[in-house]
Amino acid sequence: MGALIWILIAFAVIFVLLVLMVVGIYNKLVALKNRFKNAFAQIDVQLKRRYDLIPNLVEVAKGYMKHERGTLEAVIQARNQAAAAGQQAAQNPGDPAAMKSLGSAEGQLTGALGRLFALSENYPDLKANQNMLSLQEELSSTENKVAFSRQAYNDAVMRYNTARETFPNVIFAGMFNFHEADLFEIEEEQQREAPKVSF
Amino acid sequence: MDFFEQQADARRRSGRLIVYFILAVVAIVLAVYFVALIALSMAGGDRPGVPNPYAESPWHPGLFALVALATIGLIFLGSLYKISQLSSGGEAVALMLGGRLIDSQTRDLAERRLLNVVEEMALASGTPVPPVYVMDNEPSINAFAAGHEPGDAVIGVSRGSLEYLNRDELQGVMAHEFSHILNGDMRTNLRLVGILHGILILAILGWFVLRSTAFSGHRSRRSSSSKEGGGAVAVILVVGVGLLVVGSIGLFFGKLIKSAVSRQREYLADASAVQFTRLPEGIAGALKKIGGRKESSKIEDAHAEEVSHMFFGNAFGSLQSNLLSTHPPLAERVRRIDPSFDGNFPKRVKPVKIAADEVGAKPRKKPGKPLEAIGAGGTTPLDPTGVLRRIGLPGMEAILYAAALLESMPEPVRNAAHEPYGARAVIYALLLDRDPQMRQKQLDALRPKAEELSYRETERLAPQIDRLPDEARVPLIETTFPALKKLSPEQYTRFRENVELLIAADEQVDLLEYTIHSMLLRNLDVQFGRAKPLAVRHHRLDPLLPSLVAVLSMLAHAGQTDEADVRRAFDKGMAEVGRSGTLQSKSEGSLRNLDAALKSLAEAGPKLKKQILAACVACVAADGKVTPREGELVQAVAAMLGVPVPPIGAQA
Repeated sequence: MGALIWILIAFAVIFVLLVLMVVGIYNKLVALKNRFKNAFAQIDVQLKRRYDLIPNLVEVAKGYMKHERGTLEAVIQARNQAAAAGQQAAQNPGDPAAMKSLGSAEGQLTGALGRLFALSENYPDLKANQNMLSLQEELSSTENKVAFSRQAYNDAVMRYNTARETFPNVIFAGMFNFHEADLFEIEEEQQREAPKVSF
Repeated sequence: MDFFEQQADARRRSGRLIVYFILAVVAIVLAVYFVALIALSMAGGDRPGVPNPYAESPWHPGLFALVALATIGLIFLGSLYKISQLSSGGEAVALMLGGRLIDSQTRDLAERRLLNVVEEMALASGTPVPPVYVMDNEPSINAFAAGHEPGDAVIGVSRGSLEYLNRDELQGVMAHEFSHILNGDMRTNLRLVGILHGILILAILGWFVLRSTAFSGHRSRRSSSSKEGGGAVAVILVVGVGLLVVGSIGLFFGKLIKSAVSRQREYLADASAVQFTRLPEGIAGALKKIGGRKESSKIEDAHAEEVSHMFFGNAFGSLQSNLLSTHPPLAERVRRIDPSFDGNFPKRVKPVKIAADEVGAKPRKKPGKPLEAIGAGGTTPLDPTGVLRRIGLPGMEAILYAAALLESMPEPVRNAAHEPYGARAVIYALLLDRDPQMRQKQLDALRPKAEELSYRETERLAPQIDRLPDEARVPLIETTFPALKKLSPEQYTRFRENVELLIAADEQVDLLEYTIHSMLLRNLDVQFGRAKPLAVRHHRLDPLLPSLVAVLSMLAHAGQTDEADVRRAFDKGMAEVGRSGTLQSKSEGSLRNLDAALKSLAEAGPKLKKQILAACVACVAADGKVTPREGELVQAVAAMLGVPVPPIGAQA
C-alpha cells in the first residue's frame, strides 16, 4: 500500500510540474501574439492615413488632368480595395488569407499611384501646384512610416513563429490554437511585370 | 516625508511584506500536511492486524519534510515564474488585462485628451512619458499604474474612464496613479503580484486535480472492483479537494497581505493627487462617479484578483470595505477630500461630451511665470533645498509649465516625437553638435548606417530642434519614450548602435550628449531586456566616493571655465556630503569612467541618493546661478539615478 501512495505522489508532482510548464508556454505564446497584434495596429494607423490622403490627391490632380480619367479612377479603385483589405487584416492580424490579400491590394495601390505620378510629369502646372506638392510630401512620409512599422510587425511575427515552432512549444501550439502568423509583404506589381533583360 | 524618505519607507514595507508572506507559507504547509495526513489515514485501508501509522499518530517527520519541500518548492516555482514574466515591466500587466496600447496619433478625442493629460503629468514629474493602455472591455471607471520604476511604467485605464470622466477628473485619477509611481508603491505592488502568485496557483491546481479525478474516477470504477482501486481514487479526490482548500487558504492570505499593504496607501495617494493638482473636485468627482454607477469600478477580466491592489478603485466593484479589501470604503475616501460630502452618490452619471478645445490643457486663472521669462539664455537663482523638496511632489505650477512647454514645441517636432519612425530622428537630431564641423562628422558617420529616409528626416528636423530652448530638450526626450518603446527589438538594436555612433563621432566628451544617451538607454534597455531594473547595493557613501568625485568633477568643469570657479564648485559639492576629495582634471574624465560612475551611484539606497543629488545641485549652484544648460545636466544626472526631478524652470 505504501508503495502505491509514493507512486501516486510522484505522479502528482510530475503532473504539477507539467501543468506549470504548459501554462508557461501558453502565456508566452499569448504575449508574443499580443505583441505582433499591437505592432499591426501601428501599421494600421499609417495605412489609414495613406488611404485618407489619396482622395485629396486625386481631387487636386483631377483639376489638371482632365482627360486622364482612367488612371485617376484606377487609383481610387485600388485605394478602396486596399482600405477594405486593411480593415479585414486589422480584425485578424497575422491571418494568412487577410495578410496576403492586403499585401496584394497594397501592391496594386502602389502601382496605380506610380502610374499617376509618372503621368503627372506631363503636366508641369500640376507638378508645381502647392497642394499637390504638400500632399505628395505627406504621402511619401506616410509610406516611409508604413514601411518602418511593417518591419517592426514582421520582426514580431518572426519571433512568434519561431517560438511556436521550437520544441517543446510546438507540441502545445496546435492544441491551443496558435496558428502560424503571416508576414506583411507587399507584392510589388513592377517586380512581377519587369521583363527579363539579358545582355 | 520627501521623495527619498518615501522610497526608503517603501523598501521597509516591502520587507514587512516578505514576513507576512513567510507566515502565510508556514500556514499553508501546515494545512497541506494535515490534508496529507487525512488522505493517508483514509487510504491506509483496514488491513487486519496492520495498524495504519497515519491514523495513529499525527507526527511523521518524513512526511512533513516531504510535504514542506513539495509545497514550498511549488510556491517558489509559481512565484519565480510570475516574477520573471513581470521582469520586463508594466507592459506585462497591461497585456494580461487585455489592454490596447493607445496610438499616439489617435484621432479619438477622448484618447487624445488622456494622452495629453498623461504627458503633462510625466513632464511635470520629470519622468519619461509612460505608454497608455485602454481596457476596451471594461465599462467601469478604473485605472492602474504598473512597473518597477518610472522608466518601465505603464498606465492603464478602463473604457468607462474615457467615456464618463471630464478632464479635471481624469487628471485627478492620473495624479493619484502618478503619486503611486513616484512614492514607490508601484514597485511594491508589482512585486506583490509576483510573490503572491505562488500561493494562488495552489487553488488552480486543486481544480485541475479534481477535474482529472472526476474523469479517471469513472474509468476505474468500471474496470476495477477492488477496494484498493476505489481507495486510490478516494485518495486522489481528497488530494484534489485538499489542494482546493489549501488554495483557498492561500487566497485568503493573499488577500490579507494585499489589503495590509495597499489599503492605507490609497488615502495617501488621494491626498497627493489633491496636492499635485490643487483641484480636489477632480479626484473627488471621479470617486463620486464611481459610486453613482452600477458598474462602479468593477473589473470583469479573470486576472482581476491577481492585480486587485494595483487599481484606483476596488476591482470587485464594492463600495464597502472589510478586512480583506484592497481599498478603503468609497464614501470615506470622498469625505477625506471633500468634507462636505453627505454620503449620497449621484443618482445618474452621464457620459461626457468632449469639446475639441478640452483636449489640450485649459489655461488656469492662476498667474504663472510666462515661459519666455525662463530660459532663452536667462539664469535663475537655484535654491538647492527647494529642488530637493520638490522631487516626487511636483505641484500644479509644474503641470502648467509642462503644458506650456509642450504647446511651445513646434508641431512637426512634436508629431515626429510621437511615433517610432520620427522619434528616432528627433533623438539623432538632439545629439548633433552645435559646431558645424563636428556636426558634419556626425552626419557623415550616420549616413551609411541609418536608412536614407531616416537620415533625411534627421536633417529635416535638425534646424527646428536647434532652435529649441535648452530647458525643452530633456522634456522632449521624455515625450519620445512611448514611441521608442514600440520599436521591435531588432529596430531598437540598430537605433542604439546609431546613437552610440553619433556620440563617438564628434570625439569629444560632451557631458550633455552623454547624459542624454544614458537616460535614454537606461530606461529603454530594461524594457528590451538588455538590462535589469536597478537594485540597491550601497547604503554607505564611502564605497561610492570615487564615483561621486568623478561626477562632481564633470559637473564642475561643465558649468564654469575659470580654474578657481571649477574648484569652488567642486568643493561646494563635496562639502554637501561632508567629505573632501581631489578634483579630477578634464582629461581624466572619459565617457567610460562617467558611465561606470553613474551606474554605481544609481545603485545607492534612497537616503544616499538624496545626499548625492544634493551634492550635484550644490556644485551646479555654486556660482549663484543656474543656466538652463546646467539645469538640464542636473535633470539628466537625476534621470540616470532614477530620481524624477521636475523641470528646473518650473521652480516658481
